[in-house]
Amino acid sequence: MNIGYVVLVHVVWFLSTYFVIVFLLAIFSNKKILYESPKLKESNKLPKASIIVSAYNEEGTIANCIESLKKIDYPKELYEVIIINDGSKDKTANIVSKYQSKNIIFINNEKNNGKAACLNQGIGKAKGEYIACMDADSIIPKDILKKIVPYFEDNKIGSVTVSVEIMHANNFLQRIIRLEYLLGLSLFLKIFSLFNCIHVTPGPFSMYRKKLLDNIGYFDTNNITEDLEIAYRIHKSGYKIANCMTTSVKTITPNNFKGLYRQRRRWYSGALLTLWQHKDILMKNKVGLFGYFIPYNYMLIASGLGLFIFSIYLTMSNTFKILSYYALTNYNFFSNWTFNFDVLGISLFVFFGISGILGMVLLVTSGLNASRNSPKKKPVLYLGYFMLFLLYQAFWLTSFFIVLTKRKVRW
Amino acid sequence: MVINKRIFVIAGLITILLFISIYSLNFYMNTQREEVVVDRMEQILDEYQEIQALSLMSNAFGKEMTCLSLESTLSHLDKTLWDTGLKIDQYREVTEQFISDPFYLNQKKKFNRNEVIYLSMLENMKEACNINQSVLLYFYKKKEECPDCDAQAFVLTDLNKEIDDEIAIFSFDSNLELPSIDALAVFYNISSFPCTVVEEHTYCGLHNKNEIENILCKYRDHSIC
Repeated sequence: MNIGYVVLVHVVWFLSTYFVIVFLLAIFSNKKILYESPKLKESNKLPKASIIVSAYNEEGTIANCIESLKKIDYPKELYEVIIINDGSKDKTANIVSKYQSKNIIFINNEKNNGKAACLNQGIGKAKGEYIACMDADSIIPKDILKKIVPYFEDNKIGSVTVSVEIMHANNFLQRIIRLEYLLGLSLFLKIFSLFNCIHVTPGPFSMYRKKLLDNIGYFDTNNITEDLEIAYRIHKSGYKIANCMTTSVKTITPNNFKGLYRQRRRWYSGALLTLWQHKDILMKNKVGLFGYFIPYNYMLIASGLGLFIFSIYLTMSNTFKILSYYALTNYNFFSNWTFNFDVLGISLFVFFGISGILGMVLLVTSGLNASRNSPKKKPVLYLGYFMLFLLYQAFWLTSFFIVLTKRKVRW
Repeated sequence: MVINKRIFVIAGLITILLFISIYSLNFYMNTQREEVVVDRMEQILDEYQEIQALSLMSNAFGKEMTCLSLESTLSHLDKTLWDTGLKIDQYREVTEQFISDPFYLNQKKKFNRNEVIYLSMLENMKEACNINQSVLLYFYKKKEECPDCDAQAFVLTDLNKEIDDEIAIFSFDSNLELPSIDALAVFYNISSFPCTVVEEHTYCGLHNKNEIENILCKYRDHSIC
């Protein structure tokens, strides 16, 4: 057996098992506080908030987004909505213009400048003490500001993220993605926040302290994952990112593999570019645990990807080898086949694999148990999640290729 | 930070404990594997003693009396030998994914020696008892030196399943450098690997199932002919 493969199996097993166990312990020991959020002190008056929405060709979704913004349970005079049309070629501008009011400000850009530039333009105009950035294809519940704003009473909190849920789960792929979001963009973010290791302020809805944005210089217009990049700078500036699970934003997800591939290609390529951009934080105490969490995370991804490629290579070469053997026996597959299972023929590799799968099942089950609004725990959902996980390895591979060959990633 | 730092230490300890458990389970299974191989080797030795007894009886009491029981004993031994050979190879492969265990090398040597003994006995008894089995010798080396050897073994395994009662296959690992195997290799003029000897005729190189069947049918009538 190839020594490189043996080493990879051990490395991936250790990294992933330790990661899963830390998570499980964190979930179990903090189960009661996951859905707790601070209350605004009665003596304190509500601060002014701004919500910025950048829209590009969103004629199908923008109306719902604005309708949800209009229903926010917050004094009208204390919040403003700034919607920026980013040079849309459809009827987005027409739709938004109809909603213009005292606290819904419409900025119409003729030219498409990109999401980060639009958000920066909005931040520049915003009068709020706290600024939320929101995607135009998302909707929010009316309680969102009242749930989030109290977090900022802690002066160390620079940004607050919320649970990201998916709006429609019409097919099997979307049902699996719903599970993925429920864990990855909700519960896991909450757990990360307990370690002060949130690595992203999700684009669908996240709120920032204006003072912080002024200090760090808004969003990076050259980065394709500006919501991820800004999280690194927030950590660098010494602020914390909190997560609130008692409120959520609902967003749209791809409904087919092509769409999912395009989305993940951007996310993963952006993540790698951001990692390179902020390599100075790696293994540095100045950003706390975040400086160690990030390299650990990417080491796990890279070694997992290596193992994935190696396993595919070994599986394929073994399959070709066995098929070439069968060619010598006229493909005599079944005539003399006997089922002869020998438990002693199971190798150590299989134990590592089984323990890895069990760990994943345990993590998903514990995550679903700890989360509210969890879907039913169906085996097919677990299987789908596992398959999606394998598919993501291929997406990571493409992203590594894109980044290493310096290709440009489009939205 | 709400998280207690002890979580990292506890998680580390649990991970190490799990790792030790997996290796302990593997160690236990390896012990079981070795016991299976040793049991089978003992079974083979018991059967040899039975054959030796029958052989002596044949000298003392006449061939007719013993040939019938000898034939059934030889047939059973042939199957035991083949299965044991496969088992040793399977366990060796499973184990050597992580460790190189000298146990399997020793057992392989023992096994090959036993095969030579069995082959000699079979050759002695074949004519006397009119045993109608084709003898097939298969000489191989490890895959680094013989890329086609695994393929040839696959073909022979398939064939053995099909006409188990009609052939006796002996596989000899030439990497073991046993004097008995080396002598056989010289005797049968083994020039390259894989090499198959059918009824005293040497056929080196990789042969597919049809070719082996044709060779077998050339020397004896089998159900596949």
